[in-house]
Amino acid sequence: MGLPNASGDLSTEVEVDAFRCLFPLRFYEKHLLESIRPDARPLGRARETTIALGAVASANGSALAKIGSTTMLAAIKMEVMTPSLETPDEGCIAIDFHMPSICSPIVRPGRPAEAAPVVAKQFSGMINLKELSLVSGKAAWMAYLDIYCLDADGALFDTGLLSAVAAFSHLEIPVVSLNDDGKIVLSEEQGLSDREPINKEKRKINLSSVPFSLTCVLHKNYILADPTAEEESIMDTTVTVVLDSSSQLISLHKPGGTVLAYTSAIQCSYHGVFFTVTLEATLTPRLCLKLDMKITFPWMQDCIALTRQRVKELQKILEEAISGMEVD
Amino acid sequence: MAAKLGSAPVTYSPNLGQKTRPPIFKDNDLDWVRPDGRGFHQCRPAFFRTGAVNSASGSAYAELGSTKVIVSVFGPRESKKAMMYSDTGRLNCNVSYTTFATPVRGQGSDHKEFSSMLHKALEGAIMLETFPKTTVDVFALVLESGGSDLPVVISCASLALADAGIMMYDLVAAVSVSCLGKNLVIDPVLEEESYQDGSLMLTCMPSRYEVTQLTFTGEWSTPDINEAMQLCLDACNKLGKVMRTCLKEAASASQE
Repeated sequence: MGLPNASGDLSTEVEVDAFRCLFPLRFYEKHLLESIRPDARPLGRARETTIALGAVASANGSALAKIGSTTMLAAIKMEVMTPSLETPDEGCIAIDFHMPSICSPIVRPGRPAEAAPVVAKQFSGMINLKELSLVSGKAAWMAYLDIYCLDADGALFDTGLLSAVAAFSHLEIPVVSLNDDGKIVLSEEQGLSDREPINKEKRKINLSSVPFSLTCVLHKNYILADPTAEEESIMDTTVTVVLDSSSQLISLHKPGGTVLAYTSAIQCSYHGVFFTVTLEATLTPRLCLKLDMKITFPWMQDCIALTRQRVKELQKILEEAISGMEVD
Repeated sequence: MAAKLGSAPVTYSPNLGQKTRPPIFKDNDLDWVRPDGRGFHQCRPAFFRTGAVNSASGSAYAELGSTKVIVSVFGPRESKKAMMYSDTGRLNCNVSYTTFATPVRGQGSDHKEFSSMLHKALEGAIMLETFPKTTVDVFALVLESGGSDLPVVISCASLALADAGIMMYDLVAAVSVSCLGKNLVIDPVLEEESYQDGSLMLTCMPSRYEVTQLTFTGEWSTPDINEAMQLCLDACNKLGKVMRTCLKEAASASQE
């Protein structure tokens, strides 16, 4: 972790490190005054992001996403299930978010429970579950999506969502056919290649709208995009905005925190109170706010503007990763 | 989304897998080739990299063929409150698998014994007296299981320990050998492991030429054991060199 003002002298470096440990908030505030962060990023810039597709050969689709040093590995395995009576022509997606003990020295048992259902929810609009149908009423695909956090350094949700999206765009559905026992089996392996495969065309899943997210940390009137674990622990108010590829708001998640009192004190103190009380109930379920709707919270507009920029970046990175695969 | 289903649905993989053992080694086994085309006494190319997980004190990633493993080391840090006072340090090991590590989801055996075997293999190499009263945690995650998982985990863990700066007498290199009929194949892949008659795993400290763990399972004859042990020791020596190079590279890269 190179400090921007650390000279070669070891004694000052130790002092800076000690100051950072003892007064983390003051350490950060000194940086924020200069509009810079300790890792030399401007406030609104996300860390370097990379995607590698096809990291796990034993899965049908997989991707490794890295934002800074936060690393997530997502893999999809396709299995066959009997669809329920209510939805005979729909498949299913089961999402699990794991934080194995390798990823972080601090055991935070609350974290995975919080992130997993939220990740799961973003996918509800992304994939038409009818595409996962094989034989109406008899068989459908169950997509098991498992996301493993390999290295936790902030922005867990963003990285998890990115790896999941990338894994779905890498997913290739195997060619299957019906065997004599009425079971779905891989066409090539069972020597049934003469038989008509039942999913000849449906080898790729159409992603109707792809969600991308950006987490911001709010402190006083500063907005820090894509926080590291240190930043998340020092400044407690985080806001996660999820937009789809056409910049439509999918969700906005603000779990607690105190920032509203600072940023929107005069304008909307009444709304502020109202907002914090009902935020969970009204905003997290897919409230499809059009972005032309007037939003009265300045921090919210800023966060969404930052997210919009970030979505463009992420889209480009994902496209590059996909085209890189096609060249091979 | 899972709640929508009500009860958990019963799913199965369309990949049935080959359950029957192919008719190899019956009479003339000389023509037989290994699934990945290696010679019987040839290991898979090994790739190691330290510093895979930033938030850990030390970590390493290892890849041999399709076996992919990541190991993080935390500590030395405070032991659990319930632990008794101890003059020497403690070593805590855990090995887990991802759900997609095996060809069929969640079908990997529980591998409960791997954690204790990893502990036993490393224990002899670590200078536990250098960190009294504290614990070093070694956590391994098998990202993809492609055979010889435990030896890869052990080698990778010793690199992660070195990366974390834990004092050791030597690196620990581990190699396994499978006995298939009359033949010995080194560093078996998953398919070979599934129809082996016996297996041997040897972990050793190459520069000291000391064995930290030796396990046999299955059917073995005495000459086979001797041959297999010699094979393993040679392979460990070579693997140790690869691991050493990896550490040297990391050290010279950080100096620059």
